[in-house]
Amino acid sequence: MSTETEGAGESRLPSEPQHTTGRDLAGLAIALGLFALAILIWWDASSYPARRNYAQVGPEIFPYVVAAGLVVFGFLTVRLAILSEFPERSEMNWPPVGWIVGAVVAEITLLSIGAGFILASGALFGLSARGMGRRPVWFTVLVGVCISALLYILFRHGLGLSLRAGPLERLIDSPFRR
Amino acid sequence: MDTFSLLLNGLAVAIEPMNLLFALIGVILGTAVGVMPGIGPALTVALLLPVSLSFGATGSLIMFAGIYYGGMYGGAISSILLNTPGETASIMTAVEGNKMARDGRGGKALGAAAIGSFFGGSFATLGLAVVAPFMVMVALSFGPAEYFALMVLSFMTVSAAFGGSIIRGLTALFLGLAIGLVGIDKLTGQARLAFGVAELRDNISIAIVAVGLFAVGETLYIASQKQNISDKVEAIKGSVWLTLADLKRCIRPYIRGTLLGFSFGPLPTGGAEIPTFLSYSTERKTAKGVAKEEFEGPKGAIEGVAGPEAANNASAAGTLIPLLTLGLPTSATAAIMLAGFQQYGLQPGPLLFTNNPDIVWGLVASLFIANLMLVVLNLPFVGVWVKLLMIPRPWLYAGILTFATLGIVGAEGSVFALVLLLAFGLLGFLMRRFGYPLAPVLVGTILGPLAEEQLRRGLMINRGDWTFLFTSPIALTIYAIAFAAVLGPVIWRALQPKGANTAFAMDGD
Repeated sequence: MSTETEGAGESRLPSEPQHTTGRDLAGLAIALGLFALAILIWWDASSYPARRNYAQVGPEIFPYVVAAGLVVFGFLTVRLAILSEFPERSEMNWPPVGWIVGAVVAEITLLSIGAGFILASGALFGLSARGMGRRPVWFTVLVGVCISALLYILFRHGLGLSLRAGPLERLIDSPFRR
Repeated sequence: MDTFSLLLNGLAVAIEPMNLLFALIGVILGTAVGVMPGIGPALTVALLLPVSLSFGATGSLIMFAGIYYGGMYGGAISSILLNTPGETASIMTAVEGNKMARDGRGGKALGAAAIGSFFGGSFATLGLAVVAPFMVMVALSFGPAEYFALMVLSFMTVSAAFGGSIIRGLTALFLGLAIGLVGIDKLTGQARLAFGVAELRDNISIAIVAVGLFAVGETLYIASQKQNISDKVEAIKGSVWLTLADLKRCIRPYIRGTLLGFSFGPLPTGGAEIPTFLSYSTERKTAKGVAKEEFEGPKGAIEGVAGPEAANNASAAGTLIPLLTLGLPTSATAAIMLAGFQQYGLQPGPLLFTNNPDIVWGLVASLFIANLMLVVLNLPFVGVWVKLLMIPRPWLYAGILTFATLGIVGAEGSVFALVLLLAFGLLGFLMRRFGYPLAPVLVGTILGPLAEEQLRRGLMINRGDWTFLFTSPIALTIYAIAFAAVLGPVIWRALQPKGANTAFAMDGD
């Protein structure tokens, strides 16, 4: 939960500079991202074949509006960044974030190579629990595999959700088949 | 048929055993997530969106509404015992509630909160049943111009009311509109922003966006912070049952809170924050005698818990009015519920009342039942919920992520959906870190395509003449309200003392 975020009204007070550094480089990067997205949308919309109809406009009109809006707010973001009007950010704790992103990537990889839902989801659970501070990692992954196996039975055979099957799943499925 | 007999029919739907079960699951889940700080009803409904596809329309909507109401009840528990509001609607409850808990009157505070939630929720639901049919009559006369204006209103107000900055709010909205563009255009079949990827051609599922932003993004955000949270849980002291004298002190705050919540809920001001704040300050100002002493001293006044708790549940019911009658979400949870309707091919709005009366009125009737269940769950069983506060964070967040991906993999069946989920998770994380509100992204993604359809339909009827947008008096009135709604919060913040600003800078549920 964000607790220290400040209201727009007070951040406009010029007498109280939050940072001594003038510009917010991360803020400028956000603005750059907005411009890039706007260009992408504009470029995509300009490639649609022209159509004649009663509306005089086709599927390209809304993308143009959105792209224009993104450009406007990109410039306003530049202004926010230059005036350092972004809320103060707390110190970044990188390792847990890395573990959790890695956990999702691990699940994606395991699913793509056909390891099945239980192993993939167990790896996700284990790596992210490790990321949030629980050790050792073999234990968290083991807990994850057990929980995922339960979830698999519950959702695959209880609710009929289709979940990727691998070697472990086929083992579990066999008693259900008869 | 009049409202009463429609409601009776709805009751018949609501008391079907399966629907009762869904309501029960909803209120239990809702209370559980309301109790735990950091996850709110919006996230939970998003998590269940893909899984619930196998439950049927009526059942899952009843469940979602139960989660919404339950979240409002559960939020009070962590506010009172932990001084950490489970969700934004309970911020004001924490002020007096936690003082009471430290004074050894935590039981009374919990009791006042539960009964207040019941009072506010029940009466506001009754109000919903009475008001909705009138709204439907008005809405039936709306054409493309009016609908487009309504959506502009929704865009503006959601972006202005959530978060601390209108610029960041509107930027978030345009990001949402951009996400909503992806896929095949409904009117012409033109593929937009698909880049030849088959999965992108049939639109990005709103469940992926919502779960990515709220579940994955929130988890990353919490993980990124150095831990310095004090988790001192106050033990429940004293009985949760109120004496007659307590009830007498509470009844006026209940009534005032309900009125405030119900009148602010349908307005697109972003959920329950403003009515709970107003309710608290009203009670504080009107307090006399013992209550005044308790408000100002360290003891904590029961009125300060009773009013805001009635207000937040009443606002939850109020939020359902524009959602059901116009298809306009005014809070993040309502936005995701709208996606829930859409995944069954239902479009909330006046036609829903004529085409699917059993779903609408079954939902309304089930809200009464949900309230009854909740008051039972929260008075005698309050101790069980407190135990949830003890779940270690690694297991909790690992569980949330596991469930999030389970839903997405199960519903979409493709690994590409998980890649998108991660992308939206990273987006949500960045947005949280830089103080961007998340709700406008969702509203933009959901309402963007609908607004575009209305705009282009209007242009088609009027042969490309754009002035049709500004000729209808109703539409012009709505634009005026939208304009006022953007300026309103600015003025509102300027009038508030400095400390109060933080409450409105948080993301709304």
